[in-house]
Amino acid sequence: MALGVARDSAAGQTASLMAQAIPVFTRADPTATRTALDEGYLSQPVVMATGTWNWLSGVATLNLEGLTLRRGELSTGAFGEGFVDRRHPHTYAHELMAGGITQYFGVQGSLFAGRGFVPFGSDDPMVRPFEKYPINHHLSQILERNVAVAAVRRGPVILEAGTFNGDEPISPSAAPQYDRFGDSFAARATFLPIGGLELSASGASVKSPEVAAGSGVDQRKASVVGRFSRSTPTDWRYALVEWARTDERAARRLTTRLSTWLGEAAVCHNGFVGAARLEQTDRPEEELLADPFRTPRPPIDLSNLGVSRWTTLTVSLSPPAVGRWFLTGRPFVEVARIGAAPGNPPGVFNAQQRYGTDRMWMLSAGIRLRAGASHGRMGRYGVAAVNEEMPMVMGTDSSSGGSHQMMGMHHTMTNPCTL
Amino acid sequence: MHLVATIRALAATTIASLAVIACGKDSTSPGDPGTNVASCPAIDFGPKPAALTLPQASPAALATLGNGLDTVRYQAEVAVRGTTAYTTSWSVRRFAGNKVSIWDVSGNVPLLVDSLIVNGASTTGDVAVSDDGKLLVVATERVPGSIVIYDLTNPRKPTLLSTFTNAETNPGVHTAEVGRVNGTLYAFLAIDPLGSIPARLVTVNLTNPAAPTEVFTKVIGNPYVHDTFARNGLLFLALWNDGVQIWDIGGCGTGATPAAPKVLGSVKTLGGDVHNIWWYHDPNGSKRFAFVGEEGFGTVPSASSGDIHVIDLSDLANPKEVAFYTVPGAGTHNFSVDETNGVLYAAYYNGGVRALDIRGDLGTCDPSQKALDVTSNLSRCNLRLMGRELAIGLQDQGKQVYIWGVQYLGGFVYASDMINGIWKLKAAK
Repeated sequence: MALGVARDSAAGQTASLMAQAIPVFTRADPTATRTALDEGYLSQPVVMATGTWNWLSGVATLNLEGLTLRRGELSTGAFGEGFVDRRHPHTYAHELMAGGITQYFGVQGSLFAGRGFVPFGSDDPMVRPFEKYPINHHLSQILERNVAVAAVRRGPVILEAGTFNGDEPISPSAAPQYDRFGDSFAARATFLPIGGLELSASGASVKSPEVAAGSGVDQRKASVVGRFSRSTPTDWRYALVEWARTDERAARRLTTRLSTWLGEAAVCHNGFVGAARLEQTDRPEEELLADPFRTPRPPIDLSNLGVSRWTTLTVSLSPPAVGRWFLTGRPFVEVARIGAAPGNPPGVFNAQQRYGTDRMWMLSAGIRLRAGASHGRMGRYGVAAVNEEMPMVMGTDSSSGGSHQMMGMHHTMTNPCTL
Repeated sequence: MHLVATIRALAATTIASLAVIACGKDSTSPGDPGTNVASCPAIDFGPKPAALTLPQASPAALATLGNGLDTVRYQAEVAVRGTTAYTTSWSVRRFAGNKVSIWDVSGNVPLLVDSLIVNGASTTGDVAVSDDGKLLVVATERVPGSIVIYDLTNPRKPTLLSTFTNAETNPGVHTAEVGRVNGTLYAFLAIDPLGSIPARLVTVNLTNPAAPTEVFTKVIGNPYVHDTFARNGLLFLALWNDGVQIWDIGGCGTGATPAAPKVLGSVKTLGGDVHNIWWYHDPNGSKRFAFVGEEGFGTVPSASSGDIHVIDLSDLANPKEVAFYTVPGAGTHNFSVDETNGVLYAAYYNGGVRALDIRGDLGTCDPSQKALDVTSNLSRCNLRLMGRELAIGLQDQGKQVYIWGVQYLGGFVYASDMINGIWKLKAAK
């Protein structure tokens, strides 16, 4: 199968580069230590490059959280990759994908491969209106895998299918299990009924994500997402609702079911952005280590202590960005009210015993620093990268000379609503 | 196929530029058992046990005598000698699992008389008393991982002799079995994997318990080695999805030692998840059967899974699974055997304690007592249908239990309960 030429794209070469980092202060009261904790760090330090050369397109995203967030980012309720109540640092090689787009008989097609996002679930939280990731990150996205994604698009319908290695990263610098490439699969269907509205459903079969050797529990995942984004030169409206479920299976039998629903919305006027997010997410409770923010990876035999259910309301406010030359900074403050309760099965989870309370607060304040164009959407490649105006490559409008799109908005560097 | 190959090639080309793969071989001591199968002329497996015909009857209830309650830590393993029991602790409940509780079990109700705190440990998951009663050995997790060795001159007041830890006990010692080989005491440590660090076996010479020495290490297990069982110079390794492997460590008369073991044979039991092993010596001299615990998925304190598998060792190079015992809704954990009376006691997590009659030939049964596993085409005797289920314990207490370990001693069964502490029960026979 040969990679095709992007017949309807501008010929020649394009390239762009951006960098971002978020100095952020977080107060969690209380958190896993049963006390209030104040921390500050540089979150989401990312360098992203995109380019096209003839028919070939590529994206490379270097994520430096392995240097700045080695102990993880304080985020009560978060879980995954051996972290709990902290978001884990992502891998240095966050994304490195290449491929091409072609078109035959009115059907656009693309094939991309490398390390990146699996065609499943919703956009990466890093390109959504909140600094803190939702708790459902590990239920609603699959990323940092060696993946090959084929996509076709005709009119308002997009179909994607991908295969990848099931093992999740075990550290920021660790290489994936290359010999496991192809042991897991995902597919996503997307429908674009009107401008700005996007409906998608996806499913995935993930083999042994938590035991790299390949003999841990498997996952069957499902997701339904509705997303709306519409902007004018001064305003922006955005909303996302999603439901996702992960079934963990051992010996082909269901062992644990984890569900989540989430709704978030943002409004921007003349650069002032207000956003709110409400989610309810099941979290697997695992053996705790002496460090209350860590769980063993891989887990050793008995490690399941039940399921907890987290309900979180997050509100975010951000005044207009300030900028000089190619640098911008957008301040923000986020407040989250967090409730924890036993899930199904409850196991031995007891929020009072674990945290001293079942109601918690989290306050975050910081500034999004950016050099260069803003982030594109993350999680879709080739003809599946939805741009309301035109097909996007790598979630970034590569034909506009570096005028990148943020979350599907028609932002340029001067758009006051750019995050 | 062509499309798949193209995708793989494309992915491989792109992925190859991502990172340099660090390829490293883990070191192995001289004497790596490798894969060559040795013979074992010195071990006599004794006569084939006689077939027993037992009526299938409802199991009796093991009488509960008393409970020593602990609700601030999750209890882990139990070891008993004389009138003193030692229980370890796991993970973090109200407090971390860094405590070894010392119980007076001379009466019906275990009484907490003292405790040991192991600094730096979050789990003290395994505990053993040496065969001469002089040493208490405690395994600790996580980083850096160690075994802590205590002098039991006063069994109620153990005194610290040494802590053995090195780069190869990192990130944690999951189990530590203690056994004597040709007069020398050893500890066999199952080391946890962590991230890219693989699981391994470490063998430690305890001749001088104040200064233990490592004599052997090997990366092993899929994905880890969970436990071992040493007896008569053979070492049985529970290698999870790689099944059971049997090593000569000095019992076969072939020159093998704990420092230079030789592989004798292996078997993969149905379902994998090989967690623990007991090689049974019956009073009539037969050593034909070993019992293998399978630990499937579980949720504390409500669910567990995994069967007991019986393997026939008469052909040591090719052991065969011949029988099994299953409990719907519950799974097995650690064993203890009353060999005089032929009763195996199994901790069964939420299923309490199960007592099985293991006398006689377990591999021969009526066709109506057999079950066929269609996938493997393996036909095995079902111990329940053979009338081997003698008694059930701790299912009548009116509260949830989650039994981690059991030990039979002198007509009593001691059970460590992750939720409730330690129980003392009257034995089935």
